[in-house]
Amino acid sequence: MVQKPWFKVFVWFLATFFFFLASGVIISLLKPGPSESEVMSYMAGMMGAMENSIMGVLMSIEGNNSLNVILFWTISSFPFIIIFSIIAGFYLRKRNGDKHDV
Amino acid sequence: MNKIRFDFVIHWIYAIIWALLAISGFSMVSAKFGWLLNYDFTIADMVHRINAAAFVVITFISVGYEINRKIKKDDRNLPWFIIGKSGYQLFTFITSLLLIITGAIIWICMEIYKPGVAFALLIHEYISYVALASVVWHMYKKTHILLWPKNKTKSEAK
Repeated sequence: MVQKPWFKVFVWFLATFFFFLASGVIISLLKPGPSESEVMSYMAGMMGAMENSIMGVLMSIEGNNSLNVILFWTISSFPFIIIFSIIAGFYLRKRNGDKHDV
Repeated sequence: MNKIRFDFVIHWIYAIIWALLAISGFSMVSAKFGWLLNYDFTIADMVHRINAAAFVVITFISVGYEINRKIKKDDRNLPWFIIGKSGYQLFTFITSLLLIITGAIIWICMEIYKPGVAFALLIHEYISYVALASVVWHMYKKTHILLWPKNKTKSEAK
């Protein structure tokens, strides 16, 4: 598969994308600023997202009581689920692994 | 046609999703980064959230697959798989989980617990820098997959 020409083009495209993105991030980090126009564009973009994007939809449903109850229980149970999964992971590893694994 | 392997497919789906998450995420970091997507927060937000859901699904499918392999004592080497017990696979596993946990905190607690969101944003951002640098290093280390097979003659290569 990796020797097919179309796949090589795809990999080159993705690799180039990541190289340019890394360059863009380095340029963004090291360039001076932000300038006033950049901040204004950024704020305008954020305001636009408040109205048109999922961010805005989420903000409008936070008054929903049943959703808040679900969020409360989800967040409360989250640490217990993590602890349970860590214990289950160690148990499986001990049961199935070789003696030198644990 | 050769049989397409599960780990190979997962690897490239993960790569595409990661690329979209990276461009949309970095463009939202601050005003200095906005030019990456021309300050279009709406598109960046949509792309980031939709791909974040896909990222969580693909990571948990991979974790489930790896647990299933462990239960069945399947010790086959999966060179393309995104998670594993050592090396870059372990690094990817840890960074993916950290990005998912901090991302979930940012998404869910945005209006509930602001200090937690601020801390999660900081961790999310810095892990993203490390992960992007590691992706560039990973591509450099794996460029050998693009070499033509050694047994290919010059006439065939033309």
